[in-house]
Amino acid sequence: MQGQQQQAYDRGITIFSPDGRLYQVEYAREAVKRGSASIGIRAEDGVVLAADVNPRSPLMEGRSVEKIHKADDHIGIASAGHVADGRQLIDFARRSAQVNRLRYEEPISVEALTKEVTDHIQQYTQVGGARPFGVALIVGGIENGEPRLFETDPSGTPYEWQATAIGGDREALHGHLEDNYREDLDLDGGIALALETLAESDDGFDPDTVEVTTVDVDSMRVRALDREAVATRAAELGVEGDDE
Amino acid sequence: MSEFTDPVTGADAVGDPHAPAVGGAGWSDGAGQSDAGETGAKSDDGAVNETGTTTVGIATDEGVVVATDRRASLGGRFVSNKSVQKVEQIHPTAVLTLVGSVGGAQSFVRTLRAEADLYEVERGDPMRIHALATLAGNFARGGPWFAINPVLAGVDDEGAHVYSVDPAGGVMADDYTVTGSGMQLAYGTIEGEYDREMSLADARDLAVRAVEAASARDTGSGNGVYVATVTGDGVDIEGFDETADALAPR
Repeated sequence: MQGQQQQAYDRGITIFSPDGRLYQVEYAREAVKRGSASIGIRAEDGVVLAADVNPRSPLMEGRSVEKIHKADDHIGIASAGHVADGRQLIDFARRSAQVNRLRYEEPISVEALTKEVTDHIQQYTQVGGARPFGVALIVGGIENGEPRLFETDPSGTPYEWQATAIGGDREALHGHLEDNYREDLDLDGGIALALETLAESDDGFDPDTVEVTTVDVDSMRVRALDREAVATRAAELGVEGDDE
Repeated sequence: MSEFTDPVTGADAVGDPHAPAVGGAGWSDGAGQSDAGETGAKSDDGAVNETGTTTVGIATDEGVVVATDRRASLGGRFVSNKSVQKVEQIHPTAVLTLVGSVGGAQSFVRTLRAEADLYEVERGDPMRIHALATLAGNFARGGPWFAINPVLAGVDDEGAHVYSVDPAGGVMADDYTVTGSGMQLAYGTIEGEYDREMSLADARDLAVRAVEAASARDTGSGNGVYVATVTGDGVDIEGFDETADALAPR
């Protein structure tokens, strides 16, 4: 009897527990923690997104695991958690960005796109028969000439950050960002801080499986660094792979 | 219909770029003109009040001026109202004129005003005038507003803008533009007199004289003038029984 009552709010997405919690949303946050980390850093002249792709086998084509996506010319999105859930939200974000261009003939702002996505996520915490998205996103881009960086979580809350990490080892990576972030970082400094921060992860760090993407204020374009550039930069910083 | 549906309402979650976010009287779920036409919403063509009209928008470096006549008529042959305000504020720094079917134009004004307000509260900044004009064109093309041909004029961080919006959704930016049945007379007045660097006061005089000329010869225009002045600080609208009263003393 006791067990059944507990299951009611443990399983039902739309049911609060007696102490006001939504367990399914909290479980979704746990799903995010099981994913490898992604990092976002807002520099003076752009934003940096970095992600540890962490393929399960050396036989897997690392490039087939996409964790950083272009949502529109001027906005990139990094994900952590369920890759498939992430793809749905990326597709939603891409369509929303294009709808904005059709509707207003102007690029969508980073904040407006983030809120379109979080409003969509939130609806999956309030409807029976659905489950929440098991993914967190970092949305970074240029808005009115200024870099902006937002996070979405499975509850559908938007947060704005100077620098943040999502996914596994979040607390440790956040600690490293808090100790080393400076407001006057430029993009290159942001890339360095992102790689150094990912190297703090307990999962181990292999520069060959790290994706780095920037959006700079001047071009307002999403630009992915190629693997060689990432490996070279990591070697310069002395944050080479520790498991080889 | 995109593949994303709202889990609460079952509606399209991404949104229709051509439909209003709120309101949208007569909107037939994306089917647009063809459906509405069959159900008789195109009775805008029948014995309804029309503004006939001359509406003028002039952009200068200081801001924009819009002048309109004040006559509503039935087919341009009977004056059904002599004091219609045909320029309305729809945005903190933009106005729209009412041209064509009065019902369609009033509905269009209300819808654009709601969209501009909603955009501003959701995003923190007022819409840019080009975004507002694009939205107006989308609505004119896909929505239940058929017999309208307004001037949209406003000021934003990129300067002063004047657009014409036609019933098929055509949106054209210009330094100055005129719509309505008296347009040829008004254009004749402005042509050769316009200068982008003219003062706002001179632009106002030019706009009023253009409406005055149209009122003298076009049966769909007359009964005085409304003048809207838009700068980065906001909108000011004044009405005059006689066009002469709107001109600066010489």
